[in-house]
Amino acid sequence: MSEIQVIDANIAAVAPADDLAEPPKGVWQRFEPTILGFGSIVVLLLVWEFLPRLITMQEGTKLFFTVPSEIGGTLWRMFATGAIWAPLGVSASAFAVGLSIAIVVGLPLGVLLGRSATLNAMFDPFITAFNATPRLVFLPLLLLWFGLGLWSKVAVVFIGALFPILINTYEGVRNADRVLINVVRSFGATEWGIARLVVVPNALPYIVVGLRLAIGRAVLGVVVAEFFGSQDGLGVVMVRAASRFQVDVVFAGLIVFAALSLLMTGLVKLLEDRLSRWRPQHISAI
Amino acid sequence: MMDDAAPRVSFPTRYRKVLLGSLSVVLFFAAWQAIFLLVPFNPLFISKPSLIASGLVDLITSGDLLRDLAVSAVPFLYGFSAAVVIGVPLGIVMGWRVRVGYALDPLMTVFYASPLVALAPLVVIFFGVGVAGKALIIFFLSVFPFIFNAYAGVRAVDRLLINVVRSLGGSERDLYFKVIFPSVLPYIVAGARIAVGRALIGVLVGEFFAASEGIGYAISRFGDIFALDRMFACIITIMVIAMVLTEGIRWTERTAFPWRSGH
Repeated sequence: MSEIQVIDANIAAVAPADDLAEPPKGVWQRFEPTILGFGSIVVLLLVWEFLPRLITMQEGTKLFFTVPSEIGGTLWRMFATGAIWAPLGVSASAFAVGLSIAIVVGLPLGVLLGRSATLNAMFDPFITAFNATPRLVFLPLLLLWFGLGLWSKVAVVFIGALFPILINTYEGVRNADRVLINVVRSFGATEWGIARLVVVPNALPYIVVGLRLAIGRAVLGVVVAEFFGSQDGLGVVMVRAASRFQVDVVFAGLIVFAALSLLMTGLVKLLEDRLSRWRPQHISAI
Repeated sequence: MMDDAAPRVSFPTRYRKVLLGSLSVVLFFAAWQAIFLLVPFNPLFISKPSLIASGLVDLITSGDLLRDLAVSAVPFLYGFSAAVVIGVPLGIVMGWRVRVGYALDPLMTVFYASPLVALAPLVVIFFGVGVAGKALIIFFLSVFPFIFNAYAGVRAVDRLLINVVRSLGGSERDLYFKVIFPSVLPYIVAGARIAVGRALIGVLVGEFFAASEGIGYAISRFGDIFALDRMFACIITIMVIAMVLTEGIRWTERTAFPWRSGH
Protein backbone atom coordinates (compact mmCIF):
# COMPACT_ATOMS: atom_id res chain seq x y z
CA MET A 1 0.00 0.00 0.00
CA SER A 2 3.02 2.26 -0.07
CA GLU A 3 2.06 3.65 -3.44
CA ILE A 4 -1.29 4.77 -2.19
CA GLN A 5 0.07 6.43 0.89
CA VAL A 6 2.64 8.36 -1.14
CA ILE A 7 -0.22 9.75 -3.15
CA ASP A 8 -2.03 11.05 -0.07
CA ALA A 9 1.01 12.94 1.12
CA ASN A 10 1.51 14.42 -2.33
CA ILE A 11 -2.08 15.52 -2.71
CA ALA A 12 -1.98 17.23 0.61
CA ALA A 13 1.15 19.06 -0.38
CA VAL A 14 0.04 20.06 -3.85
CA ALA A 15 -3.71 20.65 -3.79
CA PRO A 16 -4.28 24.39 -3.88
CA ALA A 17 -6.66 25.38 -1.16
CA ASP A 18 -7.93 28.66 -2.56
CA ASP A 19 -10.64 28.58 -5.22
CA LEU A 20 -11.14 24.83 -4.90
CA ALA A 21 -11.79 25.14 -1.21
CA GLU A 22 -15.11 23.95 0.09
CA PRO A 23 -17.35 25.90 2.41
CA PRO A 24 -16.71 25.34 6.11
CA LYS A 25 -17.72 21.86 7.08
CA GLY A 26 -20.71 21.14 9.19
CA VAL A 27 -20.95 18.23 11.58
CA TRP A 28 -22.44 15.90 9.00
CA GLN A 29 -19.79 16.66 6.43
CA ARG A 30 -16.99 16.16 8.86
CA PHE A 31 -18.14 12.79 9.99
CA GLU A 32 -19.58 11.70 6.69
CA PRO A 33 -16.65 9.48 5.70
CA THR A 34 -16.62 7.65 9.00
CA ILE A 35 -20.38 7.25 9.08
CA LEU A 36 -20.57 6.00 5.53
CA GLY A 37 -17.66 3.69 6.11
CA PHE A 38 -19.00 2.16 9.26
CA GLY A 39 -22.47 2.20 7.84
CA SER A 40 -21.59 0.10 4.86
CA ILE A 41 -19.85 -2.48 7.02
CA VAL A 42 -22.83 -2.63 9.34
CA VAL A 43 -25.25 -2.93 6.44
CA LEU A 44 -23.19 -5.73 4.95
CA LEU A 45 -23.14 -7.61 8.24
CA LEU A 46 -26.88 -7.18 8.68
CA VAL A 47 -27.66 -8.38 5.17
CA TRP A 48 -25.39 -11.34 5.71
CA GLU A 49 -27.02 -12.13 9.02
CA PHE A 50 -30.55 -12.11 7.72
CA LEU A 51 -29.93 -13.60 4.31
CA PRO A 52 -30.80 -17.17 5.32
CA ARG A 53 -34.14 -15.96 6.63
CA LEU A 54 -34.95 -13.95 3.56
CA ILE A 55 -34.17 -16.46 0.85
CA THR A 56 -34.36 -20.18 0.84
CA MET A 57 -31.13 -21.91 0.10
CA GLN A 58 -30.45 -25.35 -1.16
CA GLU A 59 -29.49 -27.92 1.40
CA GLY A 60 -25.92 -28.02 0.20
CA THR A 61 -25.42 -24.33 0.61
CA LYS A 62 -27.07 -24.34 3.99
CA LEU A 63 -24.38 -26.67 5.20
CA PHE A 64 -21.82 -24.01 4.40
CA PHE A 65 -23.54 -20.91 5.26
CA THR A 66 -22.66 -19.17 8.43
CA VAL A 67 -23.78 -15.85 9.78
CA PRO A 68 -22.00 -13.17 11.75
CA SER A 69 -23.77 -14.04 14.96
CA GLU A 70 -22.52 -17.61 14.73
CA ILE A 71 -19.03 -16.42 13.99
CA GLY A 72 -19.17 -14.05 16.91
CA GLY A 73 -20.42 -16.81 19.16
CA THR A 74 -17.67 -19.14 18.06
CA LEU A 75 -15.04 -16.47 18.60
CA TRP A 76 -16.38 -15.82 22.06
CA ARG A 77 -16.41 -19.48 22.87
CA MET A 78 -12.89 -19.96 21.61
CA PHE A 79 -11.62 -17.25 23.88
CA ALA A 80 -13.82 -18.08 26.83
CA THR A 81 -12.85 -21.72 26.92
CA GLY A 82 -9.25 -20.82 26.28
CA ALA A 83 -9.14 -23.21 23.36
CA ILE A 84 -7.66 -20.52 21.23
CA TRP A 85 -4.53 -19.81 23.19
CA ALA A 86 -2.55 -22.95 22.44
CA PRO A 87 -2.84 -22.85 18.64
CA LEU A 88 -2.57 -19.09 18.60
CA GLY A 89 0.56 -19.31 20.67
CA VAL A 90 2.14 -21.71 18.20
CA SER A 91 1.24 -19.51 15.25
CA ALA A 92 2.26 -16.33 16.99
CA SER A 93 5.63 -17.73 17.98
CA ALA A 94 6.39 -18.79 14.42
CA PHE A 95 5.35 -15.31 13.31
CA ALA A 96 7.49 -13.60 15.94
CA VAL A 97 10.60 -15.69 15.38
CA GLY A 98 10.41 -15.39 11.60
CA LEU A 99 9.79 -11.66 11.71
CA SER A 100 12.61 -11.05 14.18
CA ILE A 101 15.12 -12.95 12.09
CA ALA A 102 13.95 -11.03 9.03
CA ILE A 103 14.49 -7.72 10.83
CA VAL A 104 17.88 -8.73 12.17
CA VAL A 105 19.04 -9.80 8.73
CA GLY A 106 17.14 -7.28 6.63
CA LEU A 107 17.95 -4.00 8.34
CA PRO A 108 21.75 -4.22 8.35
CA LEU A 109 21.78 -5.77 4.91
CA GLY A 110 19.53 -3.02 3.60
CA VAL A 111 21.80 -0.36 5.00
CA LEU A 112 24.83 -2.10 3.57
CA LEU A 113 23.29 -2.41 0.13
CA GLY A 114 22.18 1.17 0.22
CA ARG A 115 25.64 2.44 0.97
CA SER A 116 27.54 0.23 -1.45
CA ALA A 117 26.52 0.36 -5.08
CA THR A 118 28.71 -2.60 -5.93
CA LEU A 119 27.14 -4.88 -3.38
CA ASN A 120 23.76 -3.69 -4.48
CA ALA A 121 24.43 -4.56 -8.11
CA MET A 122 25.59 -8.00 -7.08
CA PHE A 123 22.61 -8.79 -4.88
CA ASP A 124 20.04 -7.22 -7.13
CA PRO A 125 19.20 -10.19 -9.39
CA PHE A 126 18.59 -12.41 -6.39
CA ILE A 127 16.48 -9.89 -4.58
CA THR A 128 14.39 -9.20 -7.65
CA ALA A 129 13.91 -12.89 -8.32
CA PHE A 130 12.94 -13.78 -4.77
CA ASN A 131 10.76 -10.75 -4.34
CA ALA A 132 8.72 -11.42 -7.45
CA THR A 133 8.28 -15.09 -6.67
CA PRO A 134 5.38 -16.24 -4.56
CA ARG A 135 7.18 -17.72 -1.59
CA LEU A 136 4.62 -20.47 -1.46
CA VAL A 137 6.59 -22.08 -4.24
CA PHE A 138 9.34 -22.91 -1.78
CA LEU A 139 7.06 -24.54 0.72
CA PRO A 140 7.43 -28.18 -0.41
CA LEU A 141 11.18 -27.72 -0.44
CA LEU A 142 11.15 -26.16 2.99
CA LEU A 143 9.00 -28.95 4.32
CA LEU A 144 11.50 -31.42 2.94
CA TRP A 145 14.33 -29.61 4.69
CA PHE A 146 12.78 -28.57 7.95
CA GLY A 147 10.00 -31.02 8.49
CA LEU A 148 6.53 -30.26 9.73
CA GLY A 149 7.42 -28.30 12.80
CA LEU A 150 8.21 -24.76 13.76
CA TRP A 151 11.17 -24.16 11.51
CA SER A 152 9.51 -24.61 8.16
CA LYS A 153 6.93 -22.03 9.24
CA VAL A 154 9.68 -19.71 10.43
CA ALA A 155 11.43 -20.13 7.08
CA VAL A 156 8.30 -19.19 5.12
CA VAL A 157 7.67 -16.19 7.36
CA PHE A 158 11.32 -15.16 7.09
CA ILE A 159 11.34 -15.24 3.30
CA GLY A 160 8.12 -13.30 3.15
CA ALA A 161 9.09 -10.65 5.64
CA LEU A 162 12.72 -10.18 4.62
CA PHE A 163 12.20 -8.53 1.27
CA PRO A 164 9.94 -5.62 2.17
CA ILE A 165 12.29 -4.77 5.03
CA LEU A 166 15.37 -5.14 2.86
CA ILE A 167 14.06 -3.22 -0.10
CA ASN A 168 12.53 -0.40 1.87
CA THR A 169 15.58 0.03 4.07
CA TYR A 170 17.71 0.14 0.96
CA GLU A 171 15.46 2.78 -0.61
CA GLY A 172 15.52 4.80 2.57
CA VAL A 173 19.27 4.68 2.81
CA ARG A 174 19.72 5.65 -0.81
CA ASN A 175 17.46 8.64 -0.36
CA ALA A 176 19.43 10.01 2.54
CA ASP A 177 20.12 13.67 2.13
CA ARG A 178 23.52 14.09 0.49
CA VAL A 179 23.98 17.55 1.85
CA LEU A 180 23.61 16.32 5.40
CA ILE A 181 26.01 13.47 4.75
CA ASN A 182 28.60 15.87 3.39
CA VAL A 183 28.18 18.17 6.34
CA VAL A 184 28.64 15.38 8.82
CA ARG A 185 31.61 14.06 6.87
CA SER A 186 33.29 17.44 6.76
CA PHE A 187 33.05 17.50 10.53
CA GLY A 188 35.05 14.32 10.58
CA ALA A 189 32.50 11.55 11.05
CA THR A 190 33.35 7.97 10.20
CA GLU A 191 31.13 5.72 8.09
CA TRP A 192 29.56 4.44 11.25
CA GLY A 193 28.94 7.99 12.42
CA ILE A 194 27.35 8.89 9.13
CA ALA A 195 25.11 5.89 9.34
CA ARG A 196 24.09 6.67 12.89
CA LEU A 197 23.54 10.40 12.54
CA VAL A 198 22.14 10.84 9.07
CA VAL A 199 21.33 7.72 7.18
CA VAL A 200 19.33 5.72 9.69
CA PRO A 201 17.16 8.59 10.98
CA ASN A 202 16.43 9.64 7.40
CA ALA A 203 15.55 6.16 6.40
CA LEU A 204 13.14 5.67 9.29
CA PRO A 205 9.89 6.34 7.43
CA TYR A 206 10.90 3.92 4.71
CA ILE A 207 11.87 1.30 7.25
CA VAL A 208 8.52 1.68 8.92
CA VAL A 209 6.68 1.13 5.66
CA GLY A 210 8.85 -1.91 5.10
CA LEU A 211 7.92 -3.20 8.54
CA ARG A 212 4.24 -2.74 7.88
CA LEU A 213 4.45 -4.65 4.61
CA ALA A 214 6.56 -7.29 6.29
CA ILE A 215 3.99 -7.84 9.03
CA GLY A 216 1.25 -8.42 6.49
CA ARG A 217 3.38 -10.88 4.62
CA ALA A 218 4.48 -12.58 7.80
CA VAL A 219 0.87 -13.26 8.83
CA LEU A 220 0.15 -14.61 5.35
CA GLY A 221 3.22 -16.76 5.64
CA VAL A 222 2.10 -18.30 8.92
CA VAL A 223 -1.40 -19.00 7.62
CA VAL A 224 -0.19 -20.57 4.43
CA ALA A 225 2.59 -22.58 6.04
CA GLU A 226 0.16 -23.96 8.56
CA PHE A 227 -2.38 -24.93 5.95
CA PHE A 228 -0.10 -27.22 4.13
CA GLY A 229 2.62 -28.39 6.36
CA SER A 230 1.93 -28.39 10.00
CA GLN A 231 0.37 -30.25 12.81
CA ASP A 232 -0.55 -27.50 15.17
CA GLY A 233 -1.29 -23.83 15.07
CA LEU A 234 -4.32 -21.74 14.32
CA GLY A 235 -4.06 -22.31 10.58
CA VAL A 236 -4.21 -26.04 11.13
CA VAL A 237 -7.32 -25.57 13.25
CA MET A 238 -8.86 -23.62 10.38
CA VAL A 239 -8.06 -26.18 7.74
CA ARG A 240 -9.42 -29.00 9.82
CA ALA A 241 -12.55 -27.02 10.55
CA ALA A 242 -12.96 -26.32 6.85
CA SER A 243 -12.90 -29.98 6.02
CA ARG A 244 -15.53 -30.56 8.68
CA PHE A 245 -17.67 -27.79 7.23
CA GLN A 246 -17.31 -25.70 10.38
CA VAL A 247 -17.24 -22.53 8.41
CA ASP A 248 -17.77 -20.35 11.47
CA VAL A 249 -14.51 -21.57 12.95
CA VAL A 250 -12.72 -20.74 9.71
CA PHE A 251 -14.02 -17.19 9.74
CA ALA A 252 -13.28 -16.84 13.43
CA GLY A 253 -9.69 -17.85 12.77
CA LEU A 254 -9.49 -15.39 9.91
CA ILE A 255 -10.67 -12.62 12.21
CA VAL A 256 -8.07 -13.54 14.80
CA PHE A 257 -5.29 -13.44 12.23
CA ALA A 258 -6.52 -10.14 10.85
CA ALA A 259 -6.65 -8.74 14.37
CA LEU A 260 -3.09 -9.91 15.00
CA SER A 261 -1.97 -8.18 11.85
CA LEU A 262 -3.76 -4.95 12.76
CA LEU A 263 -2.36 -5.08 16.29
CA MET A 264 1.20 -5.43 15.06
CA THR A 265 0.73 -2.69 12.50
CA GLY A 266 -0.64 -0.43 15.21
CA LEU A 267 2.40 -1.13 17.37
CA VAL A 268 4.67 -0.24 14.49
CA LYS A 269 2.80 3.00 14.00
CA LEU A 270 3.22 3.84 17.68
CA LEU A 271 6.90 3.11 17.43
CA GLU A 272 7.18 5.27 14.37
CA ASP A 273 5.40 8.18 16.00
CA ARG A 274 7.67 7.89 19.00
CA LEU A 275 10.81 7.82 16.89
CA SER A 276 9.75 10.57 14.51
CA ARG A 277 9.18 13.26 17.11
CA TRP A 278 12.18 15.22 15.99
CA ARG A 279 10.82 15.67 12.49
CA PRO A 280 9.68 19.20 11.61
CA GLN A 281 6.92 18.28 9.20
CA HIS A 282 5.05 15.19 10.16
CA ILE A 283 4.89 13.14 6.98
CA SER A 284 4.06 10.03 8.91
CA ALA A 285 2.81 8.08 5.94
CA ILE A 286 5.19 7.70 3.06
CA MET B 1 31.14 23.10 -28.83
CA MET B 2 32.02 19.80 -30.37
CA ASP B 3 33.91 18.60 -27.36
CA ASP B 4 30.83 19.01 -25.23
CA ALA B 5 29.23 15.96 -26.78
CA ALA B 6 28.41 13.06 -24.44
CA PRO B 7 31.62 11.84 -22.83
CA ARG B 8 32.88 8.49 -23.97
CA VAL B 9 32.01 5.94 -21.37
CA SER B 10 33.51 2.52 -21.70
CA PHE B 11 31.28 -0.51 -22.01
CA PRO B 12 32.03 -1.95 -18.55
CA THR B 13 31.31 1.33 -16.86
CA ARG B 14 28.00 1.89 -18.53
CA TYR B 15 26.68 -1.57 -18.00
CA ARG B 16 28.29 -1.95 -14.63
CA LYS B 17 25.14 -2.90 -12.84
CA VAL B 18 24.09 -5.57 -15.32
CA LEU B 19 27.59 -7.02 -15.53
CA LEU B 20 27.99 -7.21 -11.78
CA GLY B 21 24.58 -8.77 -11.47
CA SER B 22 25.24 -11.40 -14.11
CA LEU B 23 28.63 -12.09 -12.58
CA SER B 24 27.16 -12.74 -9.18
CA VAL B 25 24.49 -15.06 -10.61
CA VAL B 26 27.12 -17.05 -12.48
CA LEU B 27 29.32 -17.19 -9.39
CA PHE B 28 26.39 -18.34 -7.33
CA PHE B 29 25.61 -21.28 -9.60
CA ALA B 30 29.25 -22.16 -9.98
CA ALA B 31 29.69 -22.17 -6.21
CA TRP B 32 26.56 -24.25 -5.82
CA GLN B 33 27.90 -26.83 -8.24
CA ALA B 34 31.40 -26.79 -6.85
CA ILE B 35 30.55 -27.03 -3.19
CA PHE B 36 29.78 -30.69 -3.57
CA LEU B 37 33.42 -31.34 -4.22
CA LEU B 38 33.91 -30.53 -0.57
CA VAL B 39 30.60 -31.48 0.96
CA PRO B 40 28.94 -34.86 0.47
CA PHE B 41 26.03 -34.75 -1.91
CA ASN B 42 22.77 -36.13 -0.67
CA PRO B 43 20.34 -36.33 -3.60
CA LEU B 44 17.41 -36.69 -1.24
CA PHE B 45 18.15 -33.37 0.35
CA ILE B 46 19.34 -31.06 -2.35
CA SER B 47 20.26 -30.96 -5.99
CA LYS B 48 22.97 -29.43 -8.13
CA PRO B 49 22.74 -27.11 -11.11
CA SER B 50 23.89 -29.79 -13.54
CA LEU B 51 21.19 -32.20 -12.44
CA ILE B 52 18.61 -29.46 -12.31
CA ALA B 53 19.45 -28.43 -15.84
CA SER B 54 19.10 -31.97 -17.15
CA GLY B 55 15.87 -32.37 -15.21
CA LEU B 56 14.59 -29.19 -16.79
CA VAL B 57 15.48 -30.40 -20.25
CA ASP B 58 13.66 -33.68 -19.57
CA LEU B 59 10.57 -31.87 -18.44
CA ILE B 60 10.57 -29.62 -21.46
CA THR B 61 11.16 -32.32 -24.02
CA SER B 62 8.57 -34.61 -22.54
CA GLY B 63 6.09 -31.78 -22.73
CA ASP B 64 5.22 -32.13 -19.06
CA LEU B 65 6.37 -28.66 -18.16
CA LEU B 66 4.35 -26.96 -20.86
CA ARG B 67 1.28 -28.97 -20.06
CA ASP B 68 1.47 -28.20 -16.36
CA LEU B 69 2.01 -24.53 -17.04
CA ALA B 70 -0.94 -24.48 -19.42
CA VAL B 71 -3.18 -26.12 -16.84
CA SER B 72 -2.15 -23.59 -14.23
CA ALA B 73 -2.49 -20.68 -16.61
CA VAL B 74 -6.19 -21.17 -17.30
CA PRO B 75 -7.55 -20.25 -13.86
CA PHE B 76 -4.87 -17.59 -13.60
CA LEU B 77 -6.09 -15.88 -16.74
CA TYR B 78 -9.75 -16.15 -15.81
CA GLY B 79 -9.24 -14.90 -12.29
CA PHE B 80 -6.87 -12.12 -13.28
CA SER B 81 -9.06 -10.85 -16.12
CA ALA B 82 -12.07 -10.87 -13.85
CA ALA B 83 -10.05 -8.90 -11.32
CA VAL B 84 -9.20 -6.26 -13.92
CA VAL B 85 -12.70 -6.07 -15.34
CA ILE B 86 -14.36 -5.78 -11.94
CA GLY B 87 -11.65 -4.11 -9.88
CA VAL B 88 -10.71 -1.19 -12.11
CA PRO B 89 -14.23 0.13 -12.73
CA LEU B 90 -15.07 -0.32 -9.06
CA GLY B 91 -11.99 1.61 -8.05
CA ILE B 92 -12.77 4.34 -10.54
CA VAL B 93 -16.32 4.67 -9.30
CA MET B 94 -15.02 4.85 -5.75
CA GLY B 95 -12.69 7.65 -6.71
CA TRP B 96 -15.14 9.51 -8.89
CA ARG B 97 -18.12 9.43 -6.61
CA VAL B 98 -16.71 10.56 -3.34
CA ARG B 99 -19.50 9.11 -1.23
CA VAL B 100 -19.06 5.68 -2.72
CA GLY B 101 -15.40 5.97 -1.89
CA TYR B 102 -16.14 6.88 1.71
CA ALA B 103 -18.58 4.01 2.04
CA LEU B 104 -16.48 1.29 0.48
CA ASP B 105 -12.98 2.26 1.52
CA PRO B 106 -12.99 0.78 5.05
CA LEU B 107 -14.70 -2.35 3.78
CA MET B 108 -12.08 -2.87 1.11
CA THR B 109 -9.30 -2.16 3.56
CA VAL B 110 -10.60 -4.82 5.88
CA PHE B 111 -10.64 -7.31 3.04
CA TYR B 112 -7.19 -6.34 1.86
CA ALA B 113 -5.71 -6.60 5.32
CA SER B 114 -7.09 -9.99 6.24
CA PRO B 115 -5.34 -13.08 4.98
CA LEU B 116 -7.95 -14.03 2.41
CA VAL B 117 -5.80 -16.96 1.53
CA ALA B 118 -7.25 -18.49 4.66
CA LEU B 119 -10.57 -18.86 2.90
CA ALA B 120 -9.03 -20.85 0.06
CA PRO B 121 -9.87 -24.27 1.57
CA LEU B 122 -13.48 -23.16 1.89
CA VAL B 123 -13.63 -22.08 -1.71
CA VAL B 124 -12.15 -25.32 -2.93
CA ILE B 125 -14.51 -27.38 -0.79
CA PHE B 126 -17.47 -25.42 -2.03
CA PHE B 127 -16.61 -25.10 -5.69
CA GLY B 128 -14.71 -28.29 -6.15
CA VAL B 129 -11.34 -29.04 -7.53
CA GLY B 130 -11.83 -27.52 -10.95
CA VAL B 131 -11.07 -24.29 -12.69
CA ALA B 132 -13.96 -22.37 -11.09
CA GLY B 133 -12.70 -22.66 -7.54
CA LYS B 134 -9.15 -21.76 -8.44
CA ALA B 135 -10.20 -18.87 -10.62
CA LEU B 136 -12.29 -17.56 -7.74
CA ILE B 137 -9.38 -17.71 -5.31
CA ILE B 138 -7.16 -15.92 -7.80
CA PHE B 139 -9.87 -13.33 -8.39
CA PHE B 140 -10.26 -12.56 -4.69
CA LEU B 141 -6.56 -12.28 -4.15
CA SER B 142 -5.82 -10.07 -7.15
CA VAL B 143 -8.85 -7.79 -7.29
CA PHE B 144 -7.91 -5.55 -4.34
CA PRO B 145 -4.70 -4.04 -5.72
CA PHE B 146 -6.71 -3.01 -8.78
CA ILE B 147 -9.48 -1.49 -6.73
CA PHE B 148 -7.17 0.48 -4.49
CA ASN B 149 -4.85 1.65 -7.20
CA ALA B 150 -7.65 2.73 -9.53
CA TYR B 151 -9.21 4.55 -6.57
CA ALA B 152 -5.96 6.30 -5.76
CA GLY B 153 -5.39 7.09 -9.41
CA VAL B 154 -8.70 8.83 -9.82
CA ARG B 155 -8.29 10.74 -6.57
CA ALA B 156 -4.87 11.91 -7.63
CA VAL B 157 -6.00 13.49 -10.87
CA ASP B 158 -4.82 17.04 -10.64
CA ARG B 159 -7.88 19.28 -10.53
CA LEU B 160 -5.82 22.09 -11.93
CA LEU B 161 -5.37 20.12 -15.10
CA ILE B 162 -9.09 19.53 -15.38
CA ASN B 163 -9.74 23.22 -14.96
CA VAL B 164 -7.11 24.09 -17.53
CA VAL B 165 -8.57 21.76 -20.13
CA ARG B 166 -12.04 23.11 -19.46
CA SER B 167 -11.00 26.73 -19.61
CA LEU B 168 -9.17 26.16 -22.88
CA GLY B 169 -12.40 24.88 -24.35
CA GLY B 170 -11.87 21.15 -24.06
CA SER B 171 -14.77 18.73 -24.38
CA GLU B 172 -15.61 15.87 -22.04
CA ARG B 173 -13.80 13.57 -24.39
CA ASP B 174 -10.68 15.70 -24.23
CA LEU B 175 -10.97 15.56 -20.47
CA TYR B 176 -11.05 11.82 -20.46
CA PHE B 177 -8.33 11.19 -22.97
CA LYS B 178 -5.94 13.98 -22.14
CA VAL B 179 -6.20 14.23 -18.39
CA ILE B 180 -7.99 11.42 -16.63
CA PHE B 181 -6.84 8.45 -18.62
CA PRO B 182 -3.12 9.31 -18.64
CA SER B 183 -3.36 10.10 -14.98
CA VAL B 184 -5.04 6.90 -13.90
CA LEU B 185 -3.30 4.47 -16.21
CA PRO B 186 0.07 4.38 -14.38
CA TYR B 187 -1.71 3.53 -11.17
CA ILE B 188 -3.62 0.72 -12.79
CA VAL B 189 -0.47 -0.75 -14.28
CA ALA B 190 1.25 -0.53 -10.91
CA GLY B 191 -1.75 -2.29 -9.47
CA ALA B 192 -1.35 -4.98 -12.10
CA ARG B 193 2.20 -5.50 -11.00
CA ILE B 194 1.13 -6.16 -7.42
CA ALA B 195 -1.87 -8.19 -8.48
CA VAL B 196 0.26 -10.54 -10.59
CA GLY B 197 2.24 -11.58 -7.52
CA ARG B 198 -0.88 -12.21 -5.52
CA ALA B 199 -2.53 -14.08 -8.37
CA LEU B 200 0.46 -16.41 -8.57
CA ILE B 201 0.07 -17.13 -4.88
CA GLY B 202 -3.55 -17.95 -5.58
CA VAL B 203 -2.55 -20.42 -8.29
CA LEU B 204 -0.18 -22.21 -5.96
CA VAL B 205 -2.54 -22.25 -3.00
CA GLY B 206 -5.29 -23.74 -5.11
CA GLU B 207 -2.98 -26.38 -6.47
CA PHE B 208 -1.30 -27.33 -3.24
CA PHE B 209 -4.60 -27.77 -1.61
CA ALA B 210 -6.46 -29.82 -4.15
CA ALA B 211 -5.20 -30.56 -7.58
CA SER B 212 -4.08 -33.33 -9.79
CA GLU B 213 -2.23 -31.29 -12.33
CA GLY B 214 -0.60 -27.97 -12.75
CA ILE B 215 2.80 -26.61 -11.91
CA GLY B 216 2.18 -26.24 -8.19
CA TYR B 217 0.99 -29.80 -7.99
CA ALA B 218 4.07 -30.85 -9.93
CA ILE B 219 6.32 -29.22 -7.35
CA SER B 220 4.67 -30.92 -4.42
CA ARG B 221 4.52 -34.24 -6.24
CA PHE B 222 8.21 -34.13 -7.09
CA GLY B 223 8.87 -33.30 -3.49
CA ASP B 224 6.91 -36.32 -2.36
CA ILE B 225 8.90 -38.66 -4.53
CA PHE B 226 12.14 -36.88 -3.66
CA ALA B 227 12.86 -36.01 -7.29
CA LEU B 228 14.74 -32.97 -6.09
CA ASP B 229 16.21 -32.11 -9.47
CA ARG B 230 12.83 -31.76 -11.16
CA MET B 231 11.42 -30.03 -8.15
CA PHE B 232 14.13 -27.39 -8.30
CA ALA B 233 13.64 -27.16 -12.04
CA CYS B 234 9.94 -26.35 -11.57
CA ILE B 235 10.66 -23.90 -8.78
CA ILE B 236 13.17 -22.07 -10.93
CA THR B 237 10.70 -22.05 -13.81
CA ILE B 238 8.09 -20.35 -11.66
CA MET B 239 10.67 -17.90 -10.37
CA VAL B 240 11.62 -16.97 -13.90
CA ILE B 241 7.99 -16.57 -14.97
CA ALA B 242 7.19 -14.46 -11.92
CA MET B 243 10.23 -12.32 -12.50
CA VAL B 244 9.52 -11.86 -16.19
CA LEU B 245 5.91 -10.85 -15.51
CA THR B 246 6.74 -8.47 -12.68
CA GLU B 247 9.80 -6.88 -14.25
CA GLY B 248 8.04 -6.75 -17.60
CA ILE B 249 5.26 -4.69 -16.10
CA ARG B 250 7.78 -2.54 -14.29
CA TRP B 251 9.63 -1.92 -17.55
CA THR B 252 6.34 -1.00 -19.20
CA GLU B 253 5.70 1.44 -16.40
CA ARG B 254 9.08 3.06 -16.87
CA THR B 255 8.89 3.42 -20.62
CA ALA B 256 5.22 4.20 -21.03
CA PHE B 257 4.95 6.50 -18.04
CA PRO B 258 8.34 8.14 -17.67
CA TRP B 259 6.91 10.90 -15.55
CA ARG B 260 6.08 8.49 -12.78
CA SER B 261 8.87 7.20 -10.62
CA GLY B 262 7.01 4.16 -9.46
CA HIS B 263 8.25 1.88 -6.75
